Order: sequence, then structure tokens, then C-alpha cells
Amino acid sequence: MANLPKRIIKETQRLTEEPVPGINAVPHEDNLRYFDVSIHGPSQSPYEGGIFRLELFLPEDYPMCPPKIRFLTKIYHPNIDRLGRICLDVLKSNWSPALQIRTILLSIQALLGAPNPDDPLANDVAQKWKEDEKTAIETARQWTRTHAMS
Amino acid sequence: MTSATSPNPAPVFDIRALTYVTHVDDNLCCPICQSPLVEPFTTSCRHTFCSECITNALKASKTCPVDRTPLDTKNINMAPVVLANLVNDLTVLCPNHRDGLGCTATLPRGNVEGHLKEDCLYVTVACPGCEEKIMRKDLQDDVCVHVEEECSYCSGMHRKLDMKEHETVCPGLTTPCKFCGNECPRPQIPNHEAICDEAIVSCDAASVGCPWHGLRKESTDHSTSCPLMHIRPLLEENNSRLANLEHENKLLRRRLELSLVARAQTDIAESMDDQTIRVLTEQEHIRSDLERLYVSMQEMDIKQNMLSMHMSDNMRTKEEVAMIGAAVNNLRTQLHGLQLLMFRRQGLDQNGSGGARPTGASSQAGDNSVLGHARRMSDMPSGDRVKL
Ligand SMILES: [Zn+2]
Ligand SMILES: [Zn+2]
Ligand SMILES: [Zn+2]
Ligand SMILES: [Zn+2]
Ligand SMILES: [Zn+2]
Ligand SMILES: [Zn+2]
Ligand SMILES: [Zn+2]
Repeated sequence: MANLPKRIIKETQRLTEEPVPGINAVPHEDNLRYFDVSIHGPSQSPYEGGIFRLELFLPEDYPMCPPKIRFLTKIYHPNIDRLGRICLDVLKSNWSPALQIRTILLSIQALLGAPNPDDPLANDVAQKWKEDEKTAIETARQWTRTHAMS
Repeated sequence: MTSATSPNPAPVFDIRALTYVTHVDDNLCCPICQSPLVEPFTTSCRHTFCSECITNALKASKTCPVDRTPLDTKNINMAPVVLANLVNDLTVLCPNHRDGLGCTATLPRGNVEGHLKEDCLYVTVACPGCEEKIMRKDLQDDVCVHVEEECSYCSGMHRKLDMKEHETVCPGLTTPCKFCGNECPRPQIPNHEAICDEAIVSCDAASVGCPWHGLRKESTDHSTSCPLMHIRPLLEENNSRLANLEHENKLLRRRLELSLVARAQTDIAESMDDQTIRVLTEQEHIRSDLERLYVSMQEMDIKQNMLSMHMSDNMRTKEEVAMIGAAVNNLRTQLHGLQLLMFRRQGLDQNGSGGARPTGASSQAGDNSVLGHARRMSDMPSGDRVKL
């Protein structure tokens, strides 16, 4: 990994030395651009108590293009689809090379605390969320218990 | 500069991989590469980046990476000279530094390129004789260092490049022994030092606390007079003896307890003769064991005294003696416990045979026959015995 950019080395160091509460990101030993991530569901949200696993990959032209991130743990959320893909502007058109792994993971954690059914990725979930928010939140809670607490 | 070094291309190094000697303020770092700024450029929205970083970022998106203000290449300009100077004056390690090896230069970041080009000894350059790549530190005037030449001490053939290293092991070169000063062929030095009479060695009894250091030739004299050398076997023997005694003691105690329990559980109808004989035999066993323990302890006491006399001036051994003393005291306590047990057993036997029991046998008081004993034994509620 001699050609790993200094920026990635620095970010990785900071992630382990000053970890963000509730967020954990560890690079693979054989591929320092591939991270195992876990995010604790924010309190006061239907994801509270759950620990969600994600994968994060830094492409060759990072930080000129955003990291690729996906939920591995099943989650019931209007902005996350069945494959774990996340609808978040800063991961797409609004990416900036001044953003970092830690800021992106914080945005994802914030998205769990504030689902946005008006900008959906999982259309059926968003639909439910708009029609019957109470039931949708209960479903999200149930999914958290079934898939994110073990 | 010689004609041979001038065709070397400008050195390439990753300026963002440099190691900074002091902490660099975050404000001097580029928001994109997060390294101290390289050729800083400032945008119309007054954010500063490395020229390379902002140029690349604008290729991907025409906005400021920090605040998303729309931007174009014409909206960016060189940052003030004072900022460029500030980052170029930051002290770094030479890129050819290696942990413990390599170039040890620390220099302002702005001078790194010149240092690599002109001075750094750990840059590869072309050998003036044969164009092969060598480190600048191995350059020797204008001659090829790859030609073999004869070593003037051993007449072996070695490349000029390797000659310095060869001389550290050349069999033709001698070095004075650092102990006796005798000249010795260099490869032989370790062998010689292992037997050199003038070498400093420690006493064989160093492991049991002898602090003696001295010349090897005097070590034999010391050994014959070293008190620790003399008592070393004794010390070691004592330790193992102590361990044995402790073990034996433990075994004895277990045996005693077991036999007591066993006795309590024995069929109470068993004839008194058998019972008495068994008790007496066991007691005899225990008594002889105790006697052996006594003898061992006395031996140890004597040895302890001897040791104290021998080593009154040696702190370490004093501690050892104290430990042994403590162990002896411990043994003594254990012995005391054993004795107590024995007395209690004797008391029991007297109860069994002496017949001083107030209940259950009054009609037969005064009957000293064996049968009488047996009956009384059998009258005893078994719970009483278990309490023993
Ligand atoms: Zn930069
Ligand atoms: Zn800006
Ligand atoms: Zn150097
Ligand atoms: Zn050469
Ligand atoms: Zn030689
Ligand atoms: Zn010598
Ligand atoms: Zn000695």
C-alpha cells in the first residue's frame, strides 16, 4: 500500500485515534481502501439500540469523488433501499472533496434520526411512511430488533 | 559538480508524504489533501487550497469544495507570498530518512528538492565509471567503484564499493583485543574474547547473588574463596528439601483426616481389638512421621544458623535466610496442628478405652474387658465421632 495517499492514511489514523461516538470504521488489513463500518442507531429514533453494519470503499479518485457506502444490515428506512443503498445528496451530486469519511458517516447517522420520505429511495417504504407514519415507525423498530440486535 | 552527476534527472518525491518535524496547524493544511498547503491558491470566496488540489476539484465540480460557491478556474489566484513562505519554511525530514538508517537531514520543506539534487548522500546517481546506479555516499571521485581490486591486507578480491565493509572482517587485518590489547585477526575476535584472560566475567554463583566481577584469570581464585559458591549446592538442596517437607506434611494431614473420617464411618460393630490395633498402628505411623519432621526441622535450623553466619554481610542471602526461617516457622505451625490432632485422637482413644462416658454404659462401669469396650463403642452415637 505504498501508493495510499497521505490523506487516506491521515483519515484512518484520526478515525482510530479520535473515534466518533457511536461510529466505528476499521480498514481491512489487505485493502486499506475498504472499511468495515458500524453505526449505532440514534436515541429517540426507531433505530435506537440497533447496531448497523455498513461497507465503505474509497475509489481510486477519492477524494475527488465520494466514497461508496452501503448498509449490510437490513433496515426499514425511506431513504435506504433493499440493497442497502443510501439516498443522501452528499454521497452523490453534493459531494465535495473537503468532506471526509467521518463527516459522511455522521450524515448517515443523522439520516437515521431524521428519515426524509419526500426524497425517497425505497419508494414503498416512503409511501408507508407518508400514509401511516406510526405503523412505519413500528415496523422500523421491529426490523431493528430482528436484524440489528444480535 | 562532476560531469557524471549532472545528467541525473530532477529528483521526484511525494511532497505530501513528507514527515513534518513539528506539529502543523490545521489552518495551514489544504481542505482537500489535508496536508500542509503546496503552492497555495485562494478562491474568490477566500478559501485556500493547493493549486493542484483545487484544479482537480474544479474539473469534477465547478463549486468551492468548502462552501459550494460557484467557481471557475479564473476565480482562483495565487495566495499571498507570506502564506507560501510560511508553508515552505516548515521543517521536514529528508525523504530518504529511514528509521535509524538513511539520511538524517532536517530542512525547510522548500529546500528538499535542492538537497536531493545536490547534497543528499542517499540519492542514487550513476557511477562515473560504468553508469550503474549507486548511492551518492558510495561515489569515489571519478572512478568506477564496481571494479574489483586486491585487498592490501589479505589480498582477497573485492569491489571498491564493498572494500570498507570487507575491512571490518578482513582476516589480514588485526584489531587489538579490547581486554588484553593483543592483536587478533578481526574474524577471530569473538572467539578470543570468550577465553581472554583479561576479559571481565562474573562469578558462577551470580545466580544466587554473588556480586563479584573481575578478570577471567582471577575468577578461579575467587571461586575457591567465594562463600556463595560453597553454599550454593546447600542452598539449592535446602530449597528442594523444604518443598519436599511441605509436600509430605500436606500428605500426612490428608491421611490423618481421611483416616479419622474413615474411622467414624467404620462399621461400629467391628470388634474393639481390630479397632484398637488399627488406631495404634496409625498413631505409630503418625508419630514416626512427626519424628522425621522434627529431625528435618532441626537440621534446617542448624543450616539456617550456618547460613546466617556465612552470609551476615550479604543482603540477598539474608533475605533468603529470612524466607527459610519463615518456611520453618510455617512448618512448625503445621506440626503444631498435627500434634493437636494427635492429642485429640489420643483423647478419643482414651474415651473409647478408658470408658469415661457418662451415659449408656453406666451399668457396665468398672467392666474393663475387651467385650465391654466393644459394646460401649457401639453404643456411641455415630454423630459424636463425625464431629471429630
Ligand atoms: Zn491540497
Ligand atoms: Zn469557498
Ligand atoms: Zn537527504
Ligand atoms: Zn561502476
Ligand atoms: Zn582483506
Ligand atoms: Zn584479549
Ligand atoms: Zn562469587
